[in-house]
Amino acid sequence: MTVQDSSPADTSGATVAEEATSRKKGKPALSEGKKAERKLGLWLCAPAFFVMIAVTGYPIVYSIWLSLQRYDLRFPAQQEFVGFDNYGAVLTNSYWWTAFGTTMFLTVVSVAIEFVLGMALALVMHRTLVGRGLVRTVALIPYGIVTVVAAFSWYYAWTPKTGYLANWLAADAAPLTDQWPSMFIIIGAEVWKTTPFMALLLMAGLALVPDDLLKAAAMDGASAWQRFTKVMLPVMKPAILVALLFRTLDAFRIFDNIYVLTGGAQDTGSVSMQTYDNLVKGLNLGIGSTMAVLIFITVAIIAFIFIKVFGTAAPGSDDGGKR
Amino acid sequence: MGKRIGAGKRGRSPGRTAVLLGAGALVTGMLAGCGSGGGLKINVYYAPEDSFQKVVDNCNQAAGGRYEIVYNKLQRGSDDQRLQMARRLAAGDTAMDVLGLDVTWVSEFAEAGWIDEWKDQNKAAASEGVLDGPLETATYNGKLYAAPKNTNIQLLWYDDRITPTPPKTWDEMIQKSKELKAQGKPYSIVFTGAQYEGLVVFYNTLVESMGGHILSDDGKSVVMDDGAVKALALLKQITASGITDPSLTNSKEDDVRQTFQRGDAAFELNWPFVYASYAKDKASDVQHMKWAVYPEAQAGTPAKTTIGGYDLAISSLSAHKPEAYEAALCLRSAENQKFSAINDGVPPTIESVYHNDTPLDPSKPAGDDNPNMAIKYPMRDSILDALKDAAVRPLTPAYQNMSTVMSKVLSPPAEIDPKATADKLREQLNDALQSKGVIP
Amino acid sequence: MVMGTVTTGRKVRWGLVDILVLVFALVPVLWVVSLSFKTKDTLTDGSFIPQSWTWQNYADIFQTSEFLLALVNSIGIAIISTVIAVVLGTMAAYAIARLEFPGKQLLVGLSLLIAMFPQVSLVTPLFNIERNLGLFDTWPGLILPYITFALPLSIYTLSAFFREIPWELEKAAKMDGATPAQAFRKVIAPLAAPGVFTTAILVFIFCWNDFLFAISLTSTTASRTVPAALSFFTGSSQFEDPTGQVSAAAVVITIPIIVFVLFFQRRIVAGLTSGAVKG
Repeated sequence: MTVQDSSPADTSGATVAEEATSRKKGKPALSEGKKAERKLGLWLCAPAFFVMIAVTGYPIVYSIWLSLQRYDLRFPAQQEFVGFDNYGAVLTNSYWWTAFGTTMFLTVVSVAIEFVLGMALALVMHRTLVGRGLVRTVALIPYGIVTVVAAFSWYYAWTPKTGYLANWLAADAAPLTDQWPSMFIIIGAEVWKTTPFMALLLMAGLALVPDDLLKAAAMDGASAWQRFTKVMLPVMKPAILVALLFRTLDAFRIFDNIYVLTGGAQDTGSVSMQTYDNLVKGLNLGIGSTMAVLIFITVAIIAFIFIKVFGTAAPGSDDGGKR
Repeated sequence: MGKRIGAGKRGRSPGRTAVLLGAGALVTGMLAGCGSGGGLKINVYYAPEDSFQKVVDNCNQAAGGRYEIVYNKLQRGSDDQRLQMARRLAAGDTAMDVLGLDVTWVSEFAEAGWIDEWKDQNKAAASEGVLDGPLETATYNGKLYAAPKNTNIQLLWYDDRITPTPPKTWDEMIQKSKELKAQGKPYSIVFTGAQYEGLVVFYNTLVESMGGHILSDDGKSVVMDDGAVKALALLKQITASGITDPSLTNSKEDDVRQTFQRGDAAFELNWPFVYASYAKDKASDVQHMKWAVYPEAQAGTPAKTTIGGYDLAISSLSAHKPEAYEAALCLRSAENQKFSAINDGVPPTIESVYHNDTPLDPSKPAGDDNPNMAIKYPMRDSILDALKDAAVRPLTPAYQNMSTVMSKVLSPPAEIDPKATADKLREQLNDALQSKGVIP
Repeated sequence: MVMGTVTTGRKVRWGLVDILVLVFALVPVLWVVSLSFKTKDTLTDGSFIPQSWTWQNYADIFQTSEFLLALVNSIGIAIISTVIAVVLGTMAAYAIARLEFPGKQLLVGLSLLIAMFPQVSLVTPLFNIERNLGLFDTWPGLILPYITFALPLSIYTLSAFFREIPWELEKAAKMDGATPAQAFRKVIAPLAAPGVFTTAILVFIFCWNDFLFAISLTSTTASRTVPAALSFFTGSSQFEDPTGQVSAAAVVITIPIIVFVLFFQRRIVAGLTSGAVKG
């Protein structure tokens, strides 16, 4: 339905774009077609742009402003502008750096595993010869389960005597009370829950790989691995970027899983949990917002690196695709 | 060409969007429309409690139509409850009248100016016959800020098939536990050892039982005296001697209950709710589940046990304060406290309720289907004894900060080094009290 | 299929791989299902299959209208948000992938920025705004933030797909005598469909599972969604978690997700090959 909806615009857009490409590089004054293209582009983007600005503009600016204040909700009289003092306080605090290290570790390891598993899962969902609908639907269920409930089920599974996993795999030990075992359980829960997200995006990317291209490669004697790396991966690059980018952004803000599984004990707490403790439990809006801004900056750096690495595969990059 | 199509697009999709939004708004309007009648409403914000609506109905009847109390159920998680109320109060919400506060929030809400002081006859009515400990939780800087609704206190639970008599002191209990372990019987001592408020409650009990203090009496400075350091040593001794459950550092109230109920522990330190669950799930064994007050930390001096519970406060932004006071007083009246105690298992704050043997339906004899306090609270004498030696958690507006810091520094308890940990606590609690610096 | 012929051996191999995937995905889910059928006293007995079965947890959650109302809210809010987010996202993504216009970088950067900012710090200001505008505790009060936070993902996903679509096929189709509408319906729509439906599924699940906004921007059953409603369930006392009921509710609310995915996954198939168009 949504696709039908945008039909006329798409059709014309294609034509406009073709005109644009045919005129390539030449930079005379804006032609009629160019102007029309600009206008259409702006109109198409306007609704999304205004919704996003209307809802988040003020809250984001307000958070940044709060991060420059001493502001504890319970001591409203003490509110004052303190410049970057809050940043100094957070960045010199050892708890923050411990949580930061933990979060980084969890992010890198879980996203790496998710990518490999997600790619495998995507290939299976895309190519399997039997029960494709079943596999696709079932594989997505973990992503559809409410995170808190999923985390609770893992908590129960790994608690000695009450859980099947603890009873089978770690009799008489309580893995969730040791740092490294709990880290890996957290990663396990996270990977299980979000691999389908990765797989779904990658599968949609796979759907764009033209079959005849693969056939041609096979006829040229390319091995399966070569076909994967030389034919499929390049076409999937934009999809891979989106999948990795959004998973990393989310993984870095991990909260529910840890909150339920260990409550942040044994240095398994993430930066989001620390933000929660300061902002929500501590009602310290100044420090809490500072942490939020720092998380934001970190994530922005990660995103920037991703986009640089992927270069022109990034959405909106000047070279609008290779076709 | 693009222009023409662009115009067509403009006319189409946003229109549809508006229709959808409009439809959404319409549905919401209709939903919001029902249920709003005339009359004065008193909004009560309180934690979920199964039979509390019944108490509200009782009080509405008593109000005789002058006002209607509306029970706005808050979430189960206490952080969520507090956040919900704090966020509304900070935003100047005038639609909140009566607030159900956990005993550790009263100072904080009072300091922020969110709740009113109880004075004169309201104060007299709210404190009449109330046990000292619960009353202290509702007091800040010598002023009463809430009416104690229900209290809670931990007891020592044991199985008389394993230990016929309860240990009197911690030393005795640790000794006994080691013997049981050597005999291959269930031996462990279980309590809330996870990194959260429960660990702080446990530590606070040990400190107070040692005669120590974490904060000064006015709650403004950190003391961490000798008793507090001894309590650290005891906490370490308990957790480092191999007599606790392997999942101690991930155990909260319900995990502790389950461990004991499964028969995997010899001693359980927990709130009285564990009795009702045991009676329901293992009715045939319940006659062996016994209780006693907490063991003594210093032989000869009764333990002082940390209390919990809820207090009812009046929002300072309430537009109907006289009615709000009246409603709050009704919701925690002796009769309604008894009702809640029997139906929802929340121990009363008014002493006389413990001795009241009239069943729920006074016209019929007491029995399992018409329970009274004696049937539902066979341990009521122990509760009362413990309440008379109650320990209140430090009364400071920065309690939440303190609690987060303490649970972090005390975790895992087996790795405590009394001197060093005490120094660490002193330093970090100081910052936490002034809400400076970072909470872990 | 793509390469080689479909032999029984290949089918069996794929069957085994499928089973592996099913086990990976389903075992923890079955554990939740199992928890939902356990009686209260066997809840923590550690056995994977309930020793004694009960429907009590399901009966409990439907005892009052609260859960049902929350279910209605969840379905309505998630569907409306998904439709709007996908439509707006498609428009913007098309422009980003295909058109040259000023401010493109700004939009791409802005949407990523929104996706990156920790939501927990945005909730309180949003709460204040919505209260002042009368949007607090209404459907639009949740739909608007959902659209906003789903848009970045929609825009990125869709523009990634749109740029990979071989748009020149459309021209080829028109040369073969198809009208623009036909060319779009027969050529472009099928190619765009995987991206669009993938986005729809992801957005729907995002709206469906959101807890933070649902709990902060609602206060009554007028707009409370299921994940928020779960946090109002009570155990038999303050300290007992209603694990059985929460598991039962989790099972119930996973069903619409399955239906939704079942309905849309078949649209995510390999796009038409250029060969098919020519032929």
